[in-house]
Amino acid sequence: MSGQGQVSFRNIVKLHGQFAALKNVNFDIKPGEFFALLGPSGSGKSTTLRILAGLDAPTTGRVMIDDKDVTSTDARDRDIAMVFQSYALYPHMTVAENIAFPLEMAKLPKSEIAPAVKDAARKVKIDHLLDRKPGQLSGGQQQRCALARAIVRKARLFLLDEPLSNLDAKLRLETRAELKKLQRSLGVTAVYVTHDQEEAMTLADRMAVFMSGEIQQVGTPAEVFARPNSIDIAGFIGNPPMNLVPARYVDGDVIIAGHRLKTTATTAVERDVVVGLRPGALRMTEGGLGARVDLIEDLGDTAVLDLDCAGTMIRMRVADGNIPGEGDTISITARPQDIHLFDPATRMRL
Amino acid sequence: MTAKRLRVFALLAISMIFLLAWAFPILWSVLNSLKTDSDVLAYPPKLVFAPTWEAYRDVLFGSGSILPNLLSSVIISVGTTIVTMLMAVPAAYALARLRFRGKKFAGFYVLATQMLPPVGIIIPYFLVLRNIGWIDTYQGIILIYLSFSLPFAIWLLVSYFEDIPFEMEEAAYLDGASRLKTLWRIIIPQVRGGIAVTVVFVFLNAWNEFLFAVVLSGNTVRPVTVAMFNFVSVEQTLWAKLAAVSVLAMLPVVVLGVVAQKHIVKGLTVGAVKGGGRR
Repeated sequence: MSGQGQVSFRNIVKLHGQFAALKNVNFDIKPGEFFALLGPSGSGKSTTLRILAGLDAPTTGRVMIDDKDVTSTDARDRDIAMVFQSYALYPHMTVAENIAFPLEMAKLPKSEIAPAVKDAARKVKIDHLLDRKPGQLSGGQQQRCALARAIVRKARLFLLDEPLSNLDAKLRLETRAELKKLQRSLGVTAVYVTHDQEEAMTLADRMAVFMSGEIQQVGTPAEVFARPNSIDIAGFIGNPPMNLVPARYVDGDVIIAGHRLKTTATTAVERDVVVGLRPGALRMTEGGLGARVDLIEDLGDTAVLDLDCAGTMIRMRVADGNIPGEGDTISITARPQDIHLFDPATRMRL
Repeated sequence: MTAKRLRVFALLAISMIFLLAWAFPILWSVLNSLKTDSDVLAYPPKLVFAPTWEAYRDVLFGSGSILPNLLSSVIISVGTTIVTMLMAVPAAYALARLRFRGKKFAGFYVLATQMLPPVGIIIPYFLVLRNIGWIDTYQGIILIYLSFSLPFAIWLLVSYFEDIPFEMEEAAYLDGASRLKTLWRIIIPQVRGGIAVTVVFVFLNAWNEFLFAVVLSGNTVRPVTVAMFNFVSVEQTLWAKLAAVSVLAMLPVVVLGVVAQKHIVKGLTVGAVKGGGRR
């Protein structure tokens, strides 16, 4: 391996005319980390990846790889491998030629290229397809071919731009697991762009959550899940995501639909807040917040209830065997530490 | 007869009429080229006659042999095609891919040159060539042909280049390829259908060109299209020989057409179905 694969983004701004695609983005990726750039479409995550790859230049700011400023280094001199969303396989070359291409460009002798190609193909289980053209492969096989082309070179950075989005659901889950194993076994730093929070949660060691051109939070999936920084992240992470309910904070309590709930979160004064409640953190109890069960989505081992709490919709996850009937009135509560408070004006965590 | 069969039959009949209208002059030339001069002028026209190679022998090896003219045509057409392609491929790539000031204007200019009536610029071209002493030279005629073939070739090729996804090129850059290497190894192999089509069209245009050739050529450089008129004079027209030269001049065109047919058909349908023309 030619480098460690440590990445730093310093004050990166990208303007498209008047529109700011990225507004002052900063983050660091540690060597060997699986780092996800997560966010809805148009949030700037793909632009960030392209700037890291050297396919786009930032308007201002510095990109550092292994403590070297690469902001103005050509893409081909950055020692970065990338898997594109469309795979971008070369249609006129066979699978073997596709995989060999980066090695040929690196001017490796033929005697070294052939075994390296075989090895990379074996790692992604397409070594029986080496003589085919990309057009003769299935979507999953094309995806593997793109992966093989990226790993064959042993670059210091491995970029993946929504690599699973063109696969069907079953294949996506399988490939997801394999991808993680592959990255671990190679020990290479991986940067992974996705809009699928579940993908980011399961794959990433750490992730950066993008919202409208800014990083709103960087952390491990568990951290981001446990303490989302903003209303936008809270509403984006988790399936179903956090309930966000307007409420009033009074002296250590929040008042939702006339009912008081204790919270460990504090804010200085009595004020309006947005309360965040994970569907899985809600429990049924005596004398809690009254709610009518509007709809039950049975997922097999659990069910998601759509509850009507005096006009506010709240979703709650309950274990199987504990499911009330539709139309029943139940009473719910949450532990004080599971109640998150957000500022309705700044949309940030309190 | 069912309605469907009737429709097929009608379509076939119409196609036959078109085919006949298109093929008749060619068939007629071939027939005439195999006749003697008296047979050509016989009335009513003879469909049954004793074929002879006399006309071919005369135009190829007789006193007014057209072999030098065929050679001229080959030099002009091949030269025009090579120079055109060498310049058009990079130019089309640049127009399709790079962002630069005046790109829109350059694209329009390329197209606008195709809209000029050729007759309108013969005299200026003649004067320019005469002033630099290039009348009746290969370089002169090729230069003038370039002024038409180059915009045409660029315009044709741009659409092929635009068809290639940008990500393919970016993947090549990240794989360590330079821009030139990407063009050579990744892009050009994928537009070879388009290049074949363009080569054929450029060659044919140069091969068949008459208007400029007749004005700008002379005794040294005289392509076969011009030389054919040696057989037409005030007193008489040597129909059999004229037909024989026509057939000879047609031959390379036909051969090229047959060889490149696959590419041409592919090239013409490119873009009809997304990605359909490339693989």
